[in-house]
Amino acid sequence: MRARPDTRGRAGRRPFYDLLMNVDRRVIFLVIAAAVALPLVFPLHLPVQISPEARAYFDEIERLQPGDQIILSFDYEPDTMAELDPMSYATLRHAFRKRLSVIALTTYAGGPGIALRVLGETAAEFGQQYGTDYVFLGYNPDYSATILRMGESIQATFPTDHFGTPADSLALLQGIDRYADIELLVSISASALTEYWIIWAGGNYGQRIIAGNSAIQAVLIYPYYDSRQLSGFLGGLKGAAEYEKLIEHEGAGLRGMDAQSMAHLLIVCFIVLGNVGLVMQKLRARGDAAGRAGSAG
Amino acid sequence: MDWSILGMWVAAALTLAVFSLLYRDNPFYRAAEHLLVGVSAGYYLVQYFSSGVIRKFYVPVFRQGDLWLLPGGLLGLLILFRLARRTQWISRYAIAFYVAAWSGYLIPSTIQERVLTQVGATLPPALSGAGFGAFLGAFIILVGVVSILIYFYFSAPHTGVLGRISQIGITFLMVGFGASFGYTVMGRVSLLIGRFQFLFQDLPRTLGG
Amino acid sequence: MRKTGPVVFGFLVGMLMLIQYFTPNPWIQARYNNVLDWKQVVFGITLMLGVLSLVLFHWRKIEQRQKGWGYSVITIAGLIFMIAAAVWRGQNAGPYLWMFDHVQSPMQSTMFALLAFYVASASYRAFRARGFHAALLLTAGVIVMLGRVPLGEMLGFHAGERYYSLATISDWVLNYPNVAAKRGVLIGVQLGIVATAIKIILGIERTYLGKGA
Repeated sequence: MRARPDTRGRAGRRPFYDLLMNVDRRVIFLVIAAAVALPLVFPLHLPVQISPEARAYFDEIERLQPGDQIILSFDYEPDTMAELDPMSYATLRHAFRKRLSVIALTTYAGGPGIALRVLGETAAEFGQQYGTDYVFLGYNPDYSATILRMGESIQATFPTDHFGTPADSLALLQGIDRYADIELLVSISASALTEYWIIWAGGNYGQRIIAGNSAIQAVLIYPYYDSRQLSGFLGGLKGAAEYEKLIEHEGAGLRGMDAQSMAHLLIVCFIVLGNVGLVMQKLRARGDAAGRAGSAG
Repeated sequence: MDWSILGMWVAAALTLAVFSLLYRDNPFYRAAEHLLVGVSAGYYLVQYFSSGVIRKFYVPVFRQGDLWLLPGGLLGLLILFRLARRTQWISRYAIAFYVAAWSGYLIPSTIQERVLTQVGATLPPALSGAGFGAFLGAFIILVGVVSILIYFYFSAPHTGVLGRISQIGITFLMVGFGASFGYTVMGRVSLLIGRFQFLFQDLPRTLGG
Repeated sequence: MRKTGPVVFGFLVGMLMLIQYFTPNPWIQARYNNVLDWKQVVFGITLMLGVLSLVLFHWRKIEQRQKGWGYSVITIAGLIFMIAAAVWRGQNAGPYLWMFDHVQSPMQSTMFALLAFYVASASYRAFRARGFHAALLLTAGVIVMLGRVPLGEMLGFHAGERYYSLATISDWVLNYPNVAAKRGVLIGVQLGIVATAIKIILGIERTYLGKGA
């Protein structure tokens, strides 16, 4: 570990700003853990307001009629499932409640395991039948080629579904072979995949798209929403919470908001603490310099 | 034996093994990390083989008779020559095919969607005059986009008027980076919330709690 | 053959994929679809190669008894188990899916959850407002951090008759200055990507082919 400069003053004590700026990191880890864990065990039920983009996401699905087809792309892996699973669950609950036909797929190799779990649980909840109410086409390597190829033929892109059943034998896919046959595409993504759906499916084929994005990706999506290339989106766990509130089903998103609030407040306090220490250090240095100049003169 | 309950407790133990890194590096963390690497590698290998080789090559060519896909298999085999140093040059054909194809279809689509459409969304709203608030917001976006693009023009020194406009661009960039930082913190904290939800809410249910 | 051949081949493929955007010619569209299908096979096999390289790395570590070779045994064992499980009971049930749900998923999630602690520690240690731009970045970050959680809706101020919450201010920052910043970067970066793509097709840029190209 790097040696800390000796800032002890004449009294042999470390100045207060030094303590402020050098809290042991394991203390920070413990405090963060407590800030996240305690609200999960003792909820505060802080109210959640709905953002315009989340409402637009909800409205896009709400306007569809029973039997309309949507594509749901699980564009994420287990590393970000804490943020995106709540969106996937809520989207499928909304879609199945409206009796929409869901064509699920994934552009990530880690996606099938996630999709099987989420689809299985929500389909069972709503009594949906595989093959007629929903299908899972599985994973296709090379996302760009997959997105573009689907514009020409979905069944050529996915000759079989994830379970090996020929695509042309699935009841739901009868007469469905291009983006033009799909009412809405939903991309739940932790990466730039949403942008690629917008560029190739939206741009080349005019597909209407909404997206659920991890927080890190969501901040990059705003220009596309502003330009109406994206019809609505959910940003991070807060976005999931907003959507859960709209569909009136409490899930992991809403349950996590208290912990999210407390953790953010704590991190802001840490940042303020560090900067207060910096200001005190600068004032001390200025005072010492003035003192030395005075004694020299 | 309820495999799902056993699985939840195995997951909890592995979660704590990974969290132990926060205290310091230790054999439990190392073992868990290597197990993750091995299990993931096996999982991904199966996925790539079943989707890339079986579903996209074997089924269309040998079960559906689509011989147009044979060149794809051949190009895929060329990649394997990468393993030996003397034959690596053969794999260049497959790599050139892949990279050039991607470059080709990327150019027109991304110019249309990421440049022209984005520019189109910036100019008209600022000029439309639909209410002062909307106009101000659109004007801010216009000033920001133009000043940032001028900042990215490095073929001339950033002095004089160019320098002052670049400074405005940097100001907008700082606000954008700040927003990204805020969202990054949000994203990371959310991932931690997910694990703690598992440990403090889902796991106790297996005890009947 | 070794250097020029791949470049010429790349030029032909690249030009085909570029021209297809502008013409409805059936032959060109059919070849375009073929290229997309071939790309997926090549991608799948390339990724398999990546996994095999990892296996070779750990295998060599075990063979040569390098430091930490015991952990490499765990890696290889995990890999073999997953392949065997998929062959034995398939990839949609049984031990393969069980391992994904209860070993891989939780550990992969937890690895990324560690970052929450590190981002908190790093924010505390490194995020200092030493100048105007740093202060601006910090301010925007704090506004978004607090504004995008329920707490942000409870914090705010009154200006006349209207109440401005941190959530409202955060929304404004995200939908206006942030859009300007992200759009400017998007356009600038995309122009650079297009320039590189053109150089790749024309064979000016060859570094992707490896040493000696």
